[in-house]
Amino acid sequence: MKFPLAIYQVKGHSMEPTLYSGQRVVISRLGKGRPGNLVIFKKNAQTMVKRIEKIEGDHVMVRGDHPDSTDSRSFGSVRRSQILGKVLF
Amino acid sequence: MKALQSFLQLFPASIAQAHCDVPCGVYEPDSMTWAAETCFKLVEKMEALELPAQDDKHHVLEFHNTMSRSVVIKEEFAQICKKEALILWTDYFKAEHLDRWPDLHDKVWNLTKQCSVVKRSVSVVEATKLKEMVAELANIFHETKK
Repeated sequence: MKFPLAIYQVKGHSMEPTLYSGQRVVISRLGKGRPGNLVIFKKNAQTMVKRIEKIEGDHVMVRGDHPDSTDSRSFGSVRRSQILGKVLF
Repeated sequence: MKALQSFLQLFPASIAQAHCDVPCGVYEPDSMTWAAETCFKLVEKMEALELPAQDDKHHVLEFHNTMSRSVVIKEEFAQICKKEALILWTDYFKAEHLDRWPDLHDKVWNLTKQCSVVKRSVSVVEATKLKEMVAELANIFHETKK
């Protein structure tokens, strides 16, 4: 069993002004998140951080906080199984 | 917050990508605007060219050379204008922009068609129409940034 907490370093600007490039966050691997939560997930062979906009069944729509973010509006929804954890702080 | 970040730096971390359109803010309507303006200037220049007398070989050659170059550059910049508009359409504009400008698809469709019209014609009227369409799309782009 994996340790329930993990540290990630943000790379990119799509979560500004909430998270800045280079900033580190701690996630809980136990939570999949609810709308409004920040989550780390795998999509298109990349690990990404975004905010959950809405959840429809197994489909989670994510969105960056920055207007120019690349997110579910361009790459579609994320499956719940692809979510690695919820950002705690 | 700073202390927490310094503390977290002590531990190894995996990377989480926070992608913007890579990198943020590269989209702009200026390239398309300059391209449309270039087409307009070329058409103006072509329409102003005076036909040389047929027995004046030197001026006939000059006329054809200038006209040929103008056609080539007009063709090239009309294509740049079309390409830049399509980049904004496919990569920059999002569903939320369509909510605000429901005819955005039609505007881009007509603009890119107008690029082809400017290629086919030598007409200040058509080149002006392209400039106006480009200005309208550029204006929408700027509005999305407010």
